[in-house]
Amino acid sequence: MNPPATAPDHAIVVEDLSRHYGPFRAVDRVSFHVERGEIFGWLGANGAGKSTTIRMLCGLLQPTSGDATVAGHRISRDPEGVKRSIGYMSQKFSLYLDLTVEANMEFFGGAYGIPRRPLRHRMEEIVGLTGLAEYRGATTGQLPGGIRQRLALGCAMLHRPEILFLDEPTAGVDPVSRRDFWRLIRRLAGEGTTVFVTTHYMDEAEYCARIGLMVDGHLVALDDPAGLKRVHVPGRVLDVRGEGLVAALPTAREVPGVMAAEPFGAGVHVRFDTGTCDDARVLGALREGGARVAGAEPVEATLEDVFLAVVARGKEWE
Amino acid sequence: MDTRMLWIQLVAVMVKEVRQTVRDKRVMFLLLVMPLVQLIVFSYAVNFEVDDVPTVVVDRDDSAASRRYVAGLLADGTLTEVARAGDEGEAERMVEADVAKAAIIIPRGLSRDLARGRPAQLQVVMDGTDPTRAGVAAGAVSRYFGEVALDLALERLRIRDAALGTTTRVPGVRMEPRIAYNPRLITAVYMVPGIAAMLVLMITTIVTAMGLAREREMGTLEQVLVTPIRPAVLMVGKLAPYVVVGLLDVALAVTVGAWVFEMPIRGDLTFLFGATALYLMSTLGIGLFISTASTSQQQAFMGGFLFILPAVLLSGNMTPIHSMPDWLQPVTWLNPLRWYIEIVRGNLLRGAGAADLWPQLVILAVMGMGILVVASMRFRKRVV
Repeated sequence: MNPPATAPDHAIVVEDLSRHYGPFRAVDRVSFHVERGEIFGWLGANGAGKSTTIRMLCGLLQPTSGDATVAGHRISRDPEGVKRSIGYMSQKFSLYLDLTVEANMEFFGGAYGIPRRPLRHRMEEIVGLTGLAEYRGATTGQLPGGIRQRLALGCAMLHRPEILFLDEPTAGVDPVSRRDFWRLIRRLAGEGTTVFVTTHYMDEAEYCARIGLMVDGHLVALDDPAGLKRVHVPGRVLDVRGEGLVAALPTAREVPGVMAAEPFGAGVHVRFDTGTCDDARVLGALREGGARVAGAEPVEATLEDVFLAVVARGKEWE
Repeated sequence: MDTRMLWIQLVAVMVKEVRQTVRDKRVMFLLLVMPLVQLIVFSYAVNFEVDDVPTVVVDRDDSAASRRYVAGLLADGTLTEVARAGDEGEAERMVEADVAKAAIIIPRGLSRDLARGRPAQLQVVMDGTDPTRAGVAAGAVSRYFGEVALDLALERLRIRDAALGTTTRVPGVRMEPRIAYNPRLITAVYMVPGIAAMLVLMITTIVTAMGLAREREMGTLEQVLVTPIRPAVLMVGKLAPYVVVGLLDVALAVTVGAWVFEMPIRGDLTFLFGATALYLMSTLGIGLFISTASTSQQQAFMGGFLFILPAVLLSGNMTPIHSMPDWLQPVTWLNPLRWYIEIVRGNLLRGAGAADLWPQLVILAVMGMGILVVASMRFRKRVV
């Protein structure tokens, strides 16, 4: 085997990775790296190329051009080596619903070539780690989503992978199960497993050490959550409550220094540069636009604000 | 990758397949109950023997002789008297009303005409909607009265010889058929080998076709593909359990055939199971091929039937191949079912072995290899 092209602390190195479908560039010249033991978030709207990237990194899909090194294996030359070193859990719970929890683990353990005795031992560990002890004999299809999802994670970890790929692992799972799941993920990362995760939940994205943001096949932003907020949503964000606010947004946008004014939850978020604008001017403009302001308070920018700002800018480029 | 890992993976796939099969009540039904039901139903229902044709009798002669003829005609059981009618019109109406499938009309004066040596006329009316039955019934009537006429002629000669003191030698041809292998001409004995072959085809082809489609439909295929399992290992692991199922189904058919239908087992069963293994290469290969072309279980199921129906019709089991149109007959050469049925029938009923059946064996082997190679190439492409 060739010496890994990665620095020893890089679990994944992606270089100019592209995948085209005819004229359509699902992933277009994407480069980044993921550090060992890092929880790396991979965000983007539907169809932005997230899943195509993951499928290439897992050795399921060959790149049109460019390459990536995953756990020391080149995806273009050694997809089998990649598959041996990673665990993959997809948005759909792709377990055998007609088999028991234990039978699923036995199958996937066998698929990774784990001999019988070590597998039994490892299954005990996984059952303990994921809290599945009482469900061992249950038919998978009859278990609630949160438990199935823990089983899917357990099956993906049987062979002690260096890297876990989680493709929307918590889609359709209740909030309590989501919190428990992330507790588990952070524990794994703490023990040295690299986690590469896509999600639609922005609160989950906050758990990531670093986040890459994809728009239309391009990687348009890459930083830790605080850095993303600083760069992409600078200024002060005012959360305004009241009536008729949405109709007054165009008036607020006219105020010099206002960078964004968008509906948010029950009210609106107005973001402005503190050098050229202040709270009073924003609220005045909203009242002028016909709104009745009941209250306003400054809030931290969220990753959702980042996401919306970046995606909106991405669309302007078109 | 070392062989130990391949072996662990192969066992894991096989164990998983068996577990899924055992837990799926529909598939278990397909594997266990359907063969028995088909075997019994087909063997009893598909019956080429013609007897008990309901017959209405019109005896306008009403003499001792005519009564003897009617009794003699009905004696062999091909025709069964269900009604008496006064005249021809009434008898025809009864055939029309489906009370009877045949009518025998003996005209007034039959015995008198025969006694005087004058030609006598006898009328038979047949319902031709079932040509086989009508043909066999008509044959039975003409054969019987042919024998009656011959006996009458010989009787007259004997009387004449006695009167003149001469001896006339009459050259006569009497056929005495001796039927080998299935002397009682039991349809079931002929049918069971064909049904066994059909069963193996239906079960192994459909279950294999649906197996991979199910994985794709459920999204489990992708999860399997991110493991380091190779497509070849996955394929062999998925097919191997159904080789066992196919062999068991043949064993079941032979057992039921022998016990229930008194089918002889004259050949070497080891040879039969070897030939079955060759046949399974084709049926499993076709199932695999269909599964690579289907995205859902429903499609796979339909695809399976699309192949099975013509294969059964062109196997020679339902219709003899030599009575198919000339242009159609070569098509049956491509039908693995045809060759396998010839092997099973030859082996079980005639005790034939490789010395007789090697052409069929070679054809099955070549066909099976070809199908399996093409299917596995497609499988690799679809899977990776």
